[in-house]
Amino acid sequence: MRPHSSLKQEFLKEWIKGLQRCSFPKKSILERKKAIKLSADIAMASARNGTTCWSRALISSAAKDGSDNNHLVKQILGPESDRPAVENKAPARQASVCKKILKRSCRIRRRGRRKCGAAAAPSSIAKHLVKKRRQILRSLIPGGEFMNEICLIEETLDYITSLRVQVDVMRSLATASVRGTE
Amino acid sequence: MNRALPEMLPCSDMTVLQRQRARLKWQAEQFQQQSYFCELSGVFTSQNVHVQGFQQGGLVSGGGDSVLSNMEMTRQLKPDPGLEAAWPELGKVDMGFGSCGYGNGPSFDMNHAISRTSSCPPAVAAAAVEVKGNSEKMGSAVGRESFKKRKVEKLQNSKVVAEDESKRIKASEEEEEESKITGPNTNKITNHKKENSGDTSKDNSKVSEVQKPDYIHVRARRGQATDSHSLAERVRREKISERMKYLQDLVPGCNKITGKAGMLDEIINYVQSLQRQVEFLSMKLATVNPRLDFNIDNLYAKEEFPSCTTNFPTVGMAPEMANHSPYLQFNPIQQVVSGCGVEMGMNSSDMALRRTISAPVSIPDASFLNTTCFTGPQQQIQPSAPWEVELQNLYNVAFTDTIDASDLKMEM
Repeated sequence: MRPHSSLKQEFLKEWIKGLQRCSFPKKSILERKKAIKLSADIAMASARNGTTCWSRALISSAAKDGSDNNHLVKQILGPESDRPAVENKAPARQASVCKKILKRSCRIRRRGRRKCGAAAAPSSIAKHLVKKRRQILRSLIPGGEFMNEICLIEETLDYITSLRVQVDVMRSLATASVRGTE
Repeated sequence: MNRALPEMLPCSDMTVLQRQRARLKWQAEQFQQQSYFCELSGVFTSQNVHVQGFQQGGLVSGGGDSVLSNMEMTRQLKPDPGLEAAWPELGKVDMGFGSCGYGNGPSFDMNHAISRTSSCPPAVAAAAVEVKGNSEKMGSAVGRESFKKRKVEKLQNSKVVAEDESKRIKASEEEEEESKITGPNTNKITNHKKENSGDTSKDNSKVSEVQKPDYIHVRARRGQATDSHSLAERVRREKISERMKYLQDLVPGCNKITGKAGMLDEIINYVQSLQRQVEFLSMKLATVNPRLDFNIDNLYAKEEFPSCTTNFPTVGMAPEMANHSPYLQFNPIQQVVSGCGVEMGMNSSDMALRRTISAPVSIPDASFLNTTCFTGPQQQIQPSAPWEVELQNLYNVAFTDTIDASDLKMEM
């Protein structure tokens, strides 16, 4: 397994950089939390250096023009906006649109078929269940809608490790700061 | 299954029958020997009737199919751990077949399930192979030559044969008229051939595919469609199952769960819980540090980036940190290793700091994040580069932590 420690350090570095860059408004807790989470996510994604699909999708979705935290993202990303994530924006959007249309059409077709099939065989039920769960997983993983199954599972693996790293670092930071205040 | 015999067999083939029965007995023994397969054999024997029905009617009875699929579903992953060790190919293939078994006919399902059960001698395998071919195509008959050819080719690859054989054990139970045991010379194939030309071509293509140097390394199953689509699909399925195994290792508590749906469920829950944890922790950080991060970052930027090797910043901060750090006791390294981050985070970071302050060269202590770096207190001096990297990382963490504390105290 990839060493966690290097990943953690990398993430921490990036995160601190990102936090540093955002102008921390002394506003509500929610805004601060958003900023923290966002910087953490972006740090996590950039720790991958665009090697994984989810990281790119995460950054591109965060940096979308329509999003409300766009300014924060721009600040955080700052001079590092040479990422491939930025390039992925347009094709990602098109791909998402195409995929949505395709999915909708497939769903309509499938609904008709399903009624005929009446789910007699448990194999079809199992397939249906698995498909449902795959859909859910796709919705969880950033950029999951564009992946085929194999990619999806690989990305899930990577995403889980990164999430773990993120959680560990944040937790330790939180506990450290809490203990510091005591 | 014996019902079919008198209809199909010429009376002279008693030797065939005897051989068949001997094989069946051997197979039964095989089943009993292995713990996994005890239950399977029970199922198999119970399903002989189903198979018979299939054979004669040529129909897929829903009940039988469901039984088979159920059996397959439930047993899909169970024998795999053990099997994989012993028969890595079989196991892999079985996984793929298990998952694809849903879509195929019942005979396939049976064969897939059977394939996991045992490895049979090539002769038996060859017999089963032919039997399988027979069982699949119910109606039409083919020439013996095709059979012979197939059998010969099958025998050449014993592993392949073993695979197919295990699959065809079930089918062989019905196809008693087939004589396959002793090898190519016993090609007394009865008129019970149920192969059509399509099947022949498929088998040939499959076998030929096996023999030629195959860079994709996909073996088409006998009787299964060997067109590129199904092959590619099988490869894809195997890949997916392989990756699901990695996920199983990663996600805690997934070891006992078999079946794709259950595992996906666990994975989804885990990812969701991790995401929720991130949210919660970021909220916590937001509440705890009103503007703490700023200072941390400033100090961090000052200290961290320029100094990769020097201890001066550390030393400069040392008295301050010593004053502010609430932990004065010296925690042993073992605690760092075992404490694993969260609860021991502060302790280890403090300890690490103190160590670096006191003996910059002595202990290549990693930050509290590096819980796996240490093997023991004896591990002291390491090459300077990794130590410096670790020290740097240590600074990353330690500084942020202690600076938090110091800043907070200064603010308050």
